[in-house]
Amino acid sequence: MVYMTYLLLIGLVLGLAAVASNPSPYFAALGLVTVAGMSCGILVGYGGSFLSLILFLIYLGGMLVVFAYSAALASEPYPEGWGSWPVSTLMLAYVLLVVCVSVFFSGGWFEGSWVTVDEFSEFALFRGDSGGIALMYSSGGGILMLGGWVLLLTLFVVLELTRGLSRGTLRAV
Amino acid sequence: MTLTHYAFSSSYFMSFLGLIFYRKHLLSALLCLEAMMLILFISLCLWGLILASTVFSAGPMILLAFSACEASAGLALLVAMARTHGTDRLKNLSLLRC
Repeated sequence: MVYMTYLLLIGLVLGLAAVASNPSPYFAALGLVTVAGMSCGILVGYGGSFLSLILFLIYLGGMLVVFAYSAALASEPYPEGWGSWPVSTLMLAYVLLVVCVSVFFSGGWFEGSWVTVDEFSEFALFRGDSGGIALMYSSGGGILMLGGWVLLLTLFVVLELTRGLSRGTLRAV
Repeated sequence: MTLTHYAFSSSYFMSFLGLIFYRKHLLSALLCLEAMMLILFISLCLWGLILASTVFSAGPMILLAFSACEASAGLALLVAMARTHGTDRLKNLSLLRC
């Protein structure tokens, strides 16, 4: 179990190095999907299964799908993957940076708790993170209303930015 | 520093470096920004889970909602840039200027 979390953490760092080395956006979106999958596994390993499900549905299934469709705007005849010279050099540099800085921060490397969140408690129907999220509807009703309002405002922001016909925010569009 | 803590801190700074040293496309910079938001989400989730205090589990979900707002605003700007300049390459912004 610890080995699986360890492997997922290594996959996370390598996948983010693949995204941060700025290849063509097709490949960077693929790297981000991999990173999101690894981080869902890490969340499950720590006991947050509902939060992992939320991440898969909303982040991967909502936001990254939109990013993948928008990658059509970044089309080029010869997309640069990780085989081209600048991208692979940057990726190697980022991985080496992470490995070298880990030397300074290696005190207490294995001292953390690898136990899932509800390991030592009694049997319950409401697991830890599900019970915590339920508070968003009771005590956190204000922030829920605020979040809904902000999402509605963002819809109008996006519509106004891409309105076109030289009547929107950007006149030339 | 524990292994998990170091992994998330270093990934955050690495995607921040990827945002700073952008190369050609605006979309790859936006993807690095999304990666930063993802790492923030995971870190907030793990904060409540590792300390077994899951009261704050609603915090990462609100962060996800606001991150969706930010991503959609960034993508709208990308679409506007593709409409005016034909592509999202950042050097096109200063190509025909004196």
